[in-house]
Amino acid sequence: MNGRHAGRGRGFQRVLVANRGEIAARVIRTCRRLGIETVLTVSDADAGSRPARLADKTIRIGPAPARASYLNVDAVAAAAVAAGADAIHPGYGFLSENARLARACAAAGVVFIGPDPRTLEATGDKLAAREHAAAAGLPVLPGGHVPPDASARELAGRIGFPVLVKAAGGGGGRGLRVVRDPADLAQAVAVASAEAAAAFGDPRVYLERYVTRGRHVEVQILGDGDRVIHLGDRDCSVQRRYQKLIEEAPAPLVGDAARLRAAAVALGRRLGYRGAGTVEFLVDSGRDAFYFLEVNARIQVEHPVTEKITGLDLVAEQIAIAEGRPLRLSQQDVTFSGHAIECRINAEDPGNGFLPSPGTVTNAVFPADVRVDTHVQAGSAVPPHYDSLLAKVIAHGDSRAAALAALRSALDRCEIDGVTTNLRMHRELLADPEFERGGVDTGYLERWITVGASHG
Amino acid sequence: MAKSSAGRLELVDVSLRDGNQSLWGATGLRTAHIAQIAPVMNRVGFRALDFSSSTAMGVSVRTHRENPWDLLRLTRKAMPDTLLQFIGTGFRFISWEKAHPEVMELVYRCLVNAGMDRFVVLDPTHDMDAVRETARIIKAAGGTSGTEVIAALTYTVSAAHDDAFYAGIAARVAACGDIDRAYIKDPAGILTPERARTLIPAVLGSLHGKPLELHAHASLGLSPLTCLAAAELGVRVLQVGCGALGNGTSLPDAEKLVANLRASGHSVDVDDRLLAAVARYFDGVAAAEGLPAGQPREFDAAFMRHQVAGGVMTTLRRQLAELGVEHRFDEVMEEITVVRAELGYPIMVTPFPQMVIGQALANVLSGGARYDQVPDQVIRYVLGSFGKPTMPVDPDVLDRILSRPRARELADEPPPLSVAELRHRFGDRVGDEELLLRFGMPGAEVDAMLAAGPAVTHYNPDAQPLLRLLRELGQRPAVDQLTVDKPGFRLELKGRGAR
Repeated sequence: MNGRHAGRGRGFQRVLVANRGEIAARVIRTCRRLGIETVLTVSDADAGSRPARLADKTIRIGPAPARASYLNVDAVAAAAVAAGADAIHPGYGFLSENARLARACAAAGVVFIGPDPRTLEATGDKLAAREHAAAAGLPVLPGGHVPPDASARELAGRIGFPVLVKAAGGGGGRGLRVVRDPADLAQAVAVASAEAAAAFGDPRVYLERYVTRGRHVEVQILGDGDRVIHLGDRDCSVQRRYQKLIEEAPAPLVGDAARLRAAAVALGRRLGYRGAGTVEFLVDSGRDAFYFLEVNARIQVEHPVTEKITGLDLVAEQIAIAEGRPLRLSQQDVTFSGHAIECRINAEDPGNGFLPSPGTVTNAVFPADVRVDTHVQAGSAVPPHYDSLLAKVIAHGDSRAAALAALRSALDRCEIDGVTTNLRMHRELLADPEFERGGVDTGYLERWITVGASHG
Repeated sequence: MAKSSAGRLELVDVSLRDGNQSLWGATGLRTAHIAQIAPVMNRVGFRALDFSSSTAMGVSVRTHRENPWDLLRLTRKAMPDTLLQFIGTGFRFISWEKAHPEVMELVYRCLVNAGMDRFVVLDPTHDMDAVRETARIIKAAGGTSGTEVIAALTYTVSAAHDDAFYAGIAARVAACGDIDRAYIKDPAGILTPERARTLIPAVLGSLHGKPLELHAHASLGLSPLTCLAAAELGVRVLQVGCGALGNGTSLPDAEKLVANLRASGHSVDVDDRLLAAVARYFDGVAAAEGLPAGQPREFDAAFMRHQVAGGVMTTLRRQLAELGVEHRFDEVMEEITVVRAELGYPIMVTPFPQMVIGQALANVLSGGARYDQVPDQVIRYVLGSFGKPTMPVDPDVLDRILSRPRARELADEPPPLSVAELRHRFGDRVGDEELLLRFGMPGAEVDAMLAAGPAVTHYNPDAQPLLRLLRELGQRPAVDQLTVDKPGFRLELKGRGAR
């Protein structure tokens, strides 16, 4: 017999969702579809949120500031035990890549829905990840670690200016500096190191060549600890200060997507990767080359564009892997259909330096003919303590042009009142001929903002 | 082991196939209904699902314009832990005509490739040579993937079908290496607890350790009790239906049976919360789609005579309604009893009920003498196309049928087309799955299915009334004001033109 029997691998009955916002609602949706009960951790600021109402139960884990609630490893682990949860889904951000939480879960007999702690440590340390990538045969940018008190100048000289100073302990733009003039190097290293120490508790920094015309292309992987497959690539080059705003799949106009995908799988294999993950690359448009950037060992904000073109539910796949199942798909089973583009609608004011705009949403209308992942509705509070993402609007079409047309039409029909949003900026961006052509680099958005000061 | 031992029971859920067929004429459930609940059903802890049949696949194409092969595949994907069962006779696919053995081999290969991994072999005349040959084909199609084959012992009440008869069949099941287990199939729901107490030990005694399951329809209200007796007698797998798709002419209600089994000291390892979730989902589908929910049935002695199973009865009522002669239902039922006796008591299991009813309808509705009109199915049956009738056909009736010119035509019918001949007929560009659909049904039906595109795969019963309301409103340009008024709540919507 093939082992399909009652009692075996029936899976999780209750999952603690240790996050907030749209991703909490997203995870709850899949759990509900699978018949899994959900318990949501909430801070005092989120007790009345829409995800809190969608979940079967909620557990308060602390006051509004994230450090006292969503980032509190002990509180989250204790909530999982108190909830009688079989597993924790950490979403993205917060503790999603926290090895200490993964270890605390293991100790409490709760499954952490994500890679094992050793993988989290290897990918969380950007320097270690870089070494793994190089060992797996992936091209890495010229660079290296800056030892404490050592002069970075010689290393930078070898790399060639401009160089990028990066934090080893984490990403998201913190501890990151571009240095064009050798005279500024020492100061930049000191500032980046201090920033990294504050943000990640790890002052280590390293240098990498700064590619001026690079694109951010990433590959979605799935692994079960044994086999690793890819679910295609995404382009996330439309960013401002390393915050992505528009993502799409597949990445348009990439010369050698097959090599990129194969590289991601090779790294996944080396790591014995278990779960859903993303391997980020910098594609040097000028030189037709690509370089490994980092691994995100969690579900990504932009995962829906991959879901749209593959027809898969990535959260369901994460859960299946965490339940101890082998991958349900072979590489041949993964097929790609059409093109998908996502816009992140944030509560921020592009006309005022992208200042966050917390408050209360008084009206929220989204079109029904596209996918919208959101946690807000009329009456929703947008607390000042967390990131400003309100909704992701995702359109799919047979071609990039069709997806773009559908997304434009959808954004025209979105209404969000009560807080200032970047909705108008998105509408204008989607109308920009350069974006329409596809394949913009990571400097595109800043240039677009500068050129059209009236955009705000 | 003591005879009346308590044990650990497993369940096979029949909601999606036999439940749908018995209560909703096989047409109630679409891909969306099934795809939505499949991941949850996977987690209940069912040993297997009675999932599909060639009839169900035909309905997918004909009624829903949905690709049945896609439905098999997407359900397998959503249900990695649960055996998915296909039930068939081994000699036909969708069409009522007998298929070439090569075609049946291709059918089973395609079914295995689409994810089916448990196969019922049901020969309506208990022709065990045919059953063993079909089991061999299925095992070959399954390769090393561990496909489960389960043979049906179809229960009926007649002079020929005593305990020794079923024990003899069970012994042949035990001796066949390609058959893994057996089940007692009671399509009419006429197995009483009393008879179970002699029948089940006789069958178990001859199975030599191969497991036995019980599939007893609840049409007469007997099977909830018969199932409890079976558990006590050592049967370890019982077949059930959930919520609206349990009871009535379907199988016993899962939730109630689990409670009753536990009350009798047995254990049933299912997730009660999810079992209830599945049952409420089917309740919701029934309410949203206007489909009847299975209800507990009362005992009806007349039923013991005609033995027409639930799904067939539902279909018959629908056919009579379509012909505008619902009032002649009782007359047709009486004729069914007579025809069945004249044809040598065929067990009322597919395809024989359709055959007996077809003849009964012809006899009642044609206006001429009985057997003035005889459907081809009946002629093929008396010619032995479906195996040897268990008891001889009434000699007068046999003469009347065989003396028809059509009988000679059918006797001289060319053998069914082989796979190579089918390929020649439908062209090389047609894939195996489509080839089999084109073999089984008119090409126009398959074309219409292909033209309809992929099926919808999500469904929310709670949203249906609202969606219906919105659709209706959308179709009426004149409606410019909508008011919903109830205690403590007033909703008023006005169109731009309204004041």
